[in-house]
Amino acid sequence: MVKLTVNGKEVEVPAGTTILHAASAAGFSIPTFCYNPRMDPAGSCRICAVELEDSKRTVMGCITQVTEGMKVLTESSKVHEARKTNLELLLLHHPLDCPVCDCGGECPLQNMSFAYGGSDSRFESHRNDEPEDMKSEVLVFNSNRCILCGKCVRICDEIQDVHAIGFINRGFDTIIGPPLGKKLDCEFCGDCLEVCPTGAITDRFVRYQFRPWQMEKTETTCTSCSSGCRMVVDTENESIVRISSREGLGPNEGSICVVGRFGFNGVQSKSRLETPYVKKAQRLVPSTWDDVLPELSTKLSAIVSRGEGRVAGLASSRLPLEDAFIFQRFMRQALKSNFLDTEARQGLMNMALPLVSATGSLRPLVDHEDIVKADLIVVLGADPAVESNITGLAIKKAVRKNRAALYLVHGRDVSISSRAREVIRLAPGYEAVFLRALRETLSSGTGDLSPEVRVRLDNWGVNPDAFLRLVSDVKSSKRTIFVTGRRFHRSDAAFEASHELIRLMGERGLFASEGSGLFVLPESGNDLGVLMMGASFEWLPGLLEAKNSEQRSVWESHWNTKLPSGGGGLREILGGIEAGEIRALISFGVDPLRFLPDSAGVRKILSKLELIVVADLFQGPLADMAHYVLPAASSFERSGHVVSAEGFVQPVAAAMAPWGNALAEGNMILRLAAQMGRPLPFDSLEAVSAEIFRIFPDLRPSTRNAAYFQGKTGEILLSIPSSQPPHKAERESVNSRMADFLKQPPHSIAAPTPDDKVAKEENTFVMTLSKSINHAGTQTLLDSNLMTIEGEGLLRVPRQWARKMKLKKGACVSVSTPHGRISLPIEPVSGMADGEVHFPFHFADARFMELFPGSVSFNVHSGAQSGQTIDVKVEPIA
Amino acid sequence: MAHNDNAATINITDEEIDHICEEFGNREGAVVQILQTIQDKYGYVPAEVLERVGEDLGIPHSKMFGVLTFYSQFYREPRGKFILKVCVGTACHVRGAGLLVDKIKENLHIEEGENTEDMMFTLEPVSCLGSCALAPMAMVNGNTYGKLSGDKMVDLLKQFREESAGEPETEASPAS
Repeated sequence: MVKLTVNGKEVEVPAGTTILHAASAAGFSIPTFCYNPRMDPAGSCRICAVELEDSKRTVMGCITQVTEGMKVLTESSKVHEARKTNLELLLLHHPLDCPVCDCGGECPLQNMSFAYGGSDSRFESHRNDEPEDMKSEVLVFNSNRCILCGKCVRICDEIQDVHAIGFINRGFDTIIGPPLGKKLDCEFCGDCLEVCPTGAITDRFVRYQFRPWQMEKTETTCTSCSSGCRMVVDTENESIVRISSREGLGPNEGSICVVGRFGFNGVQSKSRLETPYVKKAQRLVPSTWDDVLPELSTKLSAIVSRGEGRVAGLASSRLPLEDAFIFQRFMRQALKSNFLDTEARQGLMNMALPLVSATGSLRPLVDHEDIVKADLIVVLGADPAVESNITGLAIKKAVRKNRAALYLVHGRDVSISSRAREVIRLAPGYEAVFLRALRETLSSGTGDLSPEVRVRLDNWGVNPDAFLRLVSDVKSSKRTIFVTGRRFHRSDAAFEASHELIRLMGERGLFASEGSGLFVLPESGNDLGVLMMGASFEWLPGLLEAKNSEQRSVWESHWNTKLPSGGGGLREILGGIEAGEIRALISFGVDPLRFLPDSAGVRKILSKLELIVVADLFQGPLADMAHYVLPAASSFERSGHVVSAEGFVQPVAAAMAPWGNALAEGNMILRLAAQMGRPLPFDSLEAVSAEIFRIFPDLRPSTRNAAYFQGKTGEILLSIPSSQPPHKAERESVNSRMADFLKQPPHSIAAPTPDDKVAKEENTFVMTLSKSINHAGTQTLLDSNLMTIEGEGLLRVPRQWARKMKLKKGACVSVSTPHGRISLPIEPVSGMADGEVHFPFHFADARFMELFPGSVSFNVHSGAQSGQTIDVKVEPIA
Repeated sequence: MAHNDNAATINITDEEIDHICEEFGNREGAVVQILQTIQDKYGYVPAEVLERVGEDLGIPHSKMFGVLTFYSQFYREPRGKFILKVCVGTACHVRGAGLLVDKIKENLHIEEGENTEDMMFTLEPVSCLGSCALAPMAMVNGNTYGKLSGDKMVDLLKQFREESAGEPETEASPAS
């Protein structure tokens, strides 16, 4: 520890601390422009000058480390003079065009100029008068306003690892921008925009549309993916102007991705449903809640009175904990049906079922902090930066800062591939047999490949040397984290693969040792939360098994009612409708007609229903068939809590009034249940929150901020963690269950069998549906900002194949299967396996779905839809 | 610098770039030397090679462009076969360097920093070449020519043209 005084106040800090941080610990703030607590200091802006009392020198606070007995003055006349001179130098070129600059009002340079009275300069020079770089549709670069602090370049390098912009030229001519004077081409996270201390980088989508002090700020949690990013919604007159973040805020520490930052327009589009609709004479006509609810309740009551299991319910993972809790209780208690399911079924359920049976929890044992500290990270079928952006950043940091070994098992390069020690190419569906080979090789003890495995690896096109390096790294690593994502969870044998992975990790003791574990990437904002609240047929709230009468009785006695058993998920619901047993369907934001092929006859099955009720933000194919369409509130218009991939329970806050007459799903249900004469004992969603937190104390809100926030003049503010329940699963209870799981025999793998070969034929590819970084779900297709960035679905094909076929980006190809044929524009991509193509699922419309067979298949064990990858023939159109 | 639409574009294969980078052990620290080597060989650093060099050395494209634009020694556009470095330092200036520059401009129809349309000459006035005793002087592709006058300069240009016409056509024009 080092003792020093700051402005006469004594303070003790660890050796190696900078003056900036020591001063902040002593309670004094020092302004900065180029400093950011998450990045290495650069010392380029010189505004953090402080005086050392003994030597009478001024030094830079952000890069000078403290020494014993140092006497620092942060506000002496010498310091003020130095800062004023620095400002004069910065203002040599910087135009004082604050009245027309979007940054005016929240500009550290403006704040500092105001504080030090330096609006004119003693020095004379020509003012830069370069035209703005307007090539990008997203960000505008104004080099005249730039003070060359380099924060934008560094955040792009050090945090995002994207390296899209850099310094160009030298001396007075230096500017910031993308290389070769081209248009900005990057992930459009907008972090550079966020950290810029002047108006040199501005947001083109909202250019000249706001003044910062006129906007109302609401801190909320993004629900577009499971990263659980905390962000700030800036609204004016009940409409969202922009979304920003705050340095250090939330598990994302101030970074947000393209969807979070720019994807707020869809919910404000004209196509939002704003009032309830009733079908009359084959037409949906606008109505009111007061008219709709009595009518709907009468019809529902009539169906419910015929017996148990007559109504089925579907819930979107967009729903916060409270609404999901109400949904399942309404289904089970008021509608007497256990036919309920969520969107999580489509992928995550393949992992969730084995994980819960093995560990008893859906929360992970490791979080992003553990990922950063890991020695070995194995990413299986995931594109972390795209599926859960902040997890991607953690992995990049682990590799860059701590030299973690990264393995990627995937059919193509993803954004983290260039950082990987090995990229193991594996065809979709082969994860289960691959993991079994890995598990058997690990436990064989010889450290070498059996001849059998060698042949198999060859069949699957896996490089045996890479495989052996993975084996040896798993053996030697102290902190190993496996990460699974969309491709893994949605592959045909995903349930079996998850079983294999958990067994492998259990056998290696990776659930027991601190810092090791499994990190699962759910697909949407509250996948984990809706499952924890029992919104699927398997589980009651708290992941109690619905089919187990003993566990069911816990809730039966609590709610003082008998709960229906049996029931089922989407597969059983479709079966029940077809058999005529299920007569009504209520869908809260889930539209099976969007993800099941039309040719599979789902529309025909659904048309057998007496009653279809759809609550959603927008009209969709299912809503077209519905008898009642109810307008739902978006995540910007409601309050509640969501569970992130790290296990944090974070609040969603209403930033604006509900759209038209829209209601949060939970409120709709409370009103409907009351109308039906089967009221649920809550008068508001706040009461539901209180009930959830009372029954599940470990689900009380929790979050993590960075160690430091940053203030209005760039000063460092210590963030003080408050006491909160742990967000990670408890190792002890996980391990006691794990022992039982390992006693069971390994799960059988039906297909592909270990000896199946990955077929390779000319122009034949395996097509997977992937997530795009620029979209989340299908609703973002209604977002004008995100559509500007990525406006059409391009079939990603291997660059080597496109070159051979002489096809360029945007060229159309014919894609055919035995079931259908369509033409799609392509994008050649480097680093793809020869036999694979992929298509962003957001753009998979009804026409696209015609490529799939006319029947829906489900994983036998998990009920998740299988057959989501398909063999296609891709040919140039002559 | 005037852009010459009729300038011969240089085709450099990825293999040639890989080869140069390998000679320097694909070391990140050798980036300036590698760019110098490329410029020596091709007369300038074409934009297309920058990304490949970056991939070979593990340097992001944006950083490569930063290095290239930082140093004034690197040229991003093709340059003439003969680089006319006319000294306009103090000593040469008082002995009529300005007249030399004017004569060249008049004769070749180019401004400072431009190439002739046939990519034969580039005019590049420089501050001082340290040979004040020879003022006014110029340096062309490493050779020094002293005590020049307007007429002598015109003769020199003619001489370079003849020299070049006598040579067999080469794929890339050596700049140094």
